[in-house]
Amino acid sequence: MPAVIDPAKCNGCELCDLYCPVDVIHMEGKVAVVRYPDECWHCGACRLECARDAVTFEFSRAMLSV
Amino acid sequence: MSDRKVHEVDTDVAIIGGGTAGLNSAMAAAEAGCRVLIVDKANIVHSGAIAGGIDHFVAYLGTGPSWDTREAYLGYVGRVARGAADLDVHDAVYCDELDAALARTEKIGVSLRQPDGKIFRTQAMGQPGPYFINFDGKHLKPKMAMEVKRRKCEILNRVQVTNIYLHDGELAGFTGYDIRTGDFYRIRAKAVVIATGNTNRMFNAQIGNPFNLWYCPANTGDLHRAAFDAGVALANMEYVRMTIVPKGFSAPGFNAFFGMGARLVNSLREPFMKNYHEMADKAPRNFMVWGALQELKEGRGPIYMDCRHLKPKELEHLFFTLGIDKDTLPEFLLAKGYAKEEAMIEMTVSEPMQARPSELCGSGIRIDRHCASNVPGIYAAGDASDQMGCLHMAMAGGFAAGKHAAAYAKKIAHLRPLDTHAMAEEEARVFRPLERRSGITYREFENIVRIICTDHFGPVKTELSLTGALEKLDRLDTARDELKADNMHELMRAHEALNIHQVSKISARAALERRESRFHPYQYRADFPQTDDANYCGLMVIQKQPDGAVTTRLDKLKYAA
Ligand SMILES: Cc1cc2nc3c(=O)[nH]c(=O)nc-3n(C[C@H](O)[C@H](O)[C@H](O)COP(=O)(O)OP(=O)(O)OC[C@H]3O[C@@H](n4cnc5c(N)ncnc54)[C@H](O)[C@@H]3O)c2cc1C
Ligand code: SF4
Ligand code: SF4
Repeated sequence: MPAVIDPAKCNGCELCDLYCPVDVIHMEGKVAVVRYPDECWHCGACRLECARDAVTFEFSRAMLSV
Repeated sequence: MSDRKVHEVDTDVAIIGGGTAGLNSAMAAAEAGCRVLIVDKANIVHSGAIAGGIDHFVAYLGTGPSWDTREAYLGYVGRVARGAADLDVHDAVYCDELDAALARTEKIGVSLRQPDGKIFRTQAMGQPGPYFINFDGKHLKPKMAMEVKRRKCEILNRVQVTNIYLHDGELAGFTGYDIRTGDFYRIRAKAVVIATGNTNRMFNAQIGNPFNLWYCPANTGDLHRAAFDAGVALANMEYVRMTIVPKGFSAPGFNAFFGMGARLVNSLREPFMKNYHEMADKAPRNFMVWGALQELKEGRGPIYMDCRHLKPKELEHLFFTLGIDKDTLPEFLLAKGYAKEEAMIEMTVSEPMQARPSELCGSGIRIDRHCASNVPGIYAAGDASDQMGCLHMAMAGGFAAGKHAAAYAKKIAHLRPLDTHAMAEEEARVFRPLERRSGITYREFENIVRIICTDHFGPVKTELSLTGALEKLDRLDTARDELKADNMHELMRAHEALNIHQVSKISARAALERRESRFHPYQYRADFPQTDDANYCGLMVIQKQPDGAVTTRLDKLKYAA
């Protein structure tokens, strides 16, 4: 998993969805969801814009293990 | 008939791709008093290569030493990018614009200085002196987006441009669609600047995920393909670019590591770059990649970035800079277990991509001193052009392109018409994958393209491997009419996949015509391993003629001895 959004912290401001350069994050109701995690470029734009610290990164096992 | 909304928009200057270069073009065209429309498939606040930040600005500053001048810089370009950089164009689009580009960067609120107020410069990549200004460009993209809004440019975010149209051989306009709502756009413009970056996802990536890439995976050669189909000539398309990245994560960091004095070592703990270039770890990028590939091939891998000799202050600066260029890289390195001290970071060679063979040129639309293509009204800037690459060229040359496009637009009295029949055909073509109930997915299709490209020219090539690639890529044409998409996101990806497929053919064809090697391993012809300046010192220009035939020619380039 790349960008991970904590739904408990997300206030639904939509900025991460709006600014993801690769169309990976989509709003589902009032919460932002990383809908295409395998297409995340790990650029960090979503985290830079999130005022709620709701975005963290989990690097895939393959990335960390090879 | 569907209930799809269709919008007709007119403007003076349209910027296709609101990345680093495109936003500078927009600023220039607005300054010249034109109506400006920026169209981007993402949102310009964070779209493209520098979505998450950037940290090095190449510049000569005239501070006194002989290397710090325009002449020395152009001499460096001529040495390092020989056969790919057109110095006449560089002189006009970079040198003439550099001072203004540096001033503009600071004016929009991004300081090129360190917190102590000083300019900090480092040297790598064959530079004759420290040309790299280290700076905190984390907010450069959002600040440029604010600036184009301040200059009253109109912006269409989330619109993927699909095709370009001419009228009597001159630009008429282009089409696109909103990647979320599916609204279709027919846009007429007096001039366009194409600034859509390079082509990614064309070759296998290190751990098999085509989005774990050095460059932005949203840049998929969409406009290289569209412009080519409209008769625009491309150049430097044969080169595949690679770099050296951390094992597991294709992230940038090359400039930061080598600028700070890190060394590549093999698994015998030997620094090896001196065996491949007299400047060792300060050599141009392609030599570094070549050296790394040889070490890996000859069994002396894995390779490591040795940072153990760096002082604590240097390491601190290094890790800080790595995080500016790639926001998530420092935490990745820590998660992998690399402490800042004693760091020996395992590295590897990145995926190849369609892009410039050197930091000092581009790969794409052939431009002249005015950033103009061969088609009246079509201009290009940044990574999408054959002469610009990297931040310094995108900032300086992007502005130049906008200026020239505006000057052209002002001379045009009337917008040219878009053919109604062609518009209807394009709308049907664009949305057809959504109508297919069964078929091939973008993932499957793209994966086939990647396997062919990787096996046949990623990066080593021969006449047989390239003709074989072209045969396979042509045979894949039948699958183009079978691509299906279940939603709008998949539709965008399907078009990206189709474009990657076409760009890969252009790249293979250009590589076939260059019967020599240059910028090893970016154009490494195993059947012609030497560089042949007598016959090939110049640009391989590839173009689709009105009858559909693809032709090539060599535009020779001259350099001082
Ligand atoms: C992570 C990273 C770090 C880098 N660090 C440095 C550095 O420190 N120094 C340096 O000199 N260079 C650096 N580079 C290179 C430099 O950033 C790029 O060369 C430069 O930003 C390219 O600008 P561009 O405008 O050509 O492309 P981009 O900024 O990538 O813009 C292309 C735009 O086109 C849009 N687009 C693509 N297709 C379409 C379509 N069909 N329709 C509409 N829009 C479309 C994209 O969404 C994007 O916004 C780095 C590159 C990367 C990826
Ligand atoms: S930016 Fe943060 S708060 Fe806003 S939608 Fe995204 S995750 Fe939620
Ligand atoms: S890290 Fe970048 S690519 Fe990944 S979800 Fe966030 S904004 Fe999108």
